Amino acid sequence: MSEHDHTQLGAYVLGSLAPDEVRALDEHLAGCAEAREELAELEEMKEFLGEVPPEAFLDGPPEDGDLLLQRTLREVRAATPADAPKRRRPWLLVAAAAVVVAGALGGGVVIGRQSVDEVASTPPAGSKHVTATDATSKVTMATTVEPRAGWSWINVNVTNLKPGAECEMVVTDKAGKTYVAGSWVISPKAAREGSRFGGGVLVPVDQVKSVEIRTVQGEHVVTTPV
Amino acid sequence: MGDTDRRPDTAEALIRSLYAEHGRSLLAYATRLTGDRAAAEDVVQETLVRAWKHADDLVEGKGSVRGWLLTVARNIVTDRARARAVRPAEVAEVADRPPVEGDHSESVVNTMVVLDALDQVSPEHREVLVQLYYRGRTVTEAAKELGVPPGTVKSRSYYALRALRAVMAGPEAEVAR
Repeated sequence: MSEHDHTQLGAYVLGSLAPDEVRALDEHLAGCAEAREELAELEEMKEFLGEVPPEAFLDGPPEDGDLLLQRTLREVRAATPADAPKRRRPWLLVAAAAVVVAGALGGGVVIGRQSVDEVASTPPAGSKHVTATDATSKVTMATTVEPRAGWSWINVNVTNLKPGAECEMVVTDKAGKTYVAGSWVISPKAAREGSRFGGGVLVPVDQVKSVEIRTVQGEHVVTTPV
Repeated sequence: MGDTDRRPDTAEALIRSLYAEHGRSLLAYATRLTGDRAAAEDVVQETLVRAWKHADDLVEGKGSVRGWLLTVARNIVTDRARARAVRPAEVAEVADRPPVEGDHSESVVNTMVVLDALDQVSPEHREVLVQLYYRGRTVTEAAKELGVPPGTVKSRSYYALRALRAVMAGPEAEVAR
């Protein structure tokens, strides 16, 4: 390592260097006050990292089934109205996560309209609209892909779904990578009148290749190419 | 469509989306803290219910949703451990588990702030820190995992820590408290 190249100090602090590299760096540190000062700053950052558990970097639902989800939903359904939050804006809440996010705009008309007011009253410039009907399932979907800063918000209006169907919105980018932008269940009302749903994905609008709805059991329902 | 009709739909949608995105992270964390899968599931359930009740805090707080959920899960584990501690018969059960560290009100803020800071550095910087620090990989292993030369892993981890420091020192970090 050259006298003033301290870029190995990062891996040194994180404990990731090979033993011979550690020895070489120890020797350098012994004779270089500047490096020791920098080391102290980096060590402080390592301590900050320790505030976050390693499990914070796991994504997706738990691996084995959704009994836990069902239990939680039962508890929420059984909760008294007094327990409920005064105002609920789950689509904004979840958008705050800004990674792979989703918020149902609900099976209901009122929620759909409210969320449109809150999120964007008209689709922003650069939005793409596509409608498709699947020949087999006879399900029709109108898809709007709205640009965000480096990511996209996707609204769908799906008609002719079966009540009780558990659906996922799956976005495929041009590299072929897929993202689940949320999942929801079709209420009887949404089956009759159309189900509106929205979700965000960390894919820029111009990289969105298609938006698919499938059941969580893996059955294809409808795809809109974008 | 009245209030009573739309509340359950909205609540369910919130719980389902939080579960789909954060469930694995929360359950793994709670399982490590409690050392017991069934107890961990209870903790996750309570965490999600609290998230639903405090949806507005989540919106208005600056920290990440993930950070909020993990923090709440840890607080629930801590509170339950304290409740058990007043009943001596059960103390032995918790003795050989890793302690739930420190003053949790302090940690609460920090977990959220640090996760938020990690969201603000570039994906390359974040990823190299996850590999080296959180997954405990060596430079050689991380290089293979990330498909870059070992020299890049070294310099990137250095610049990642510098970038994190810049974010933490910036005005954003103060706003986030």
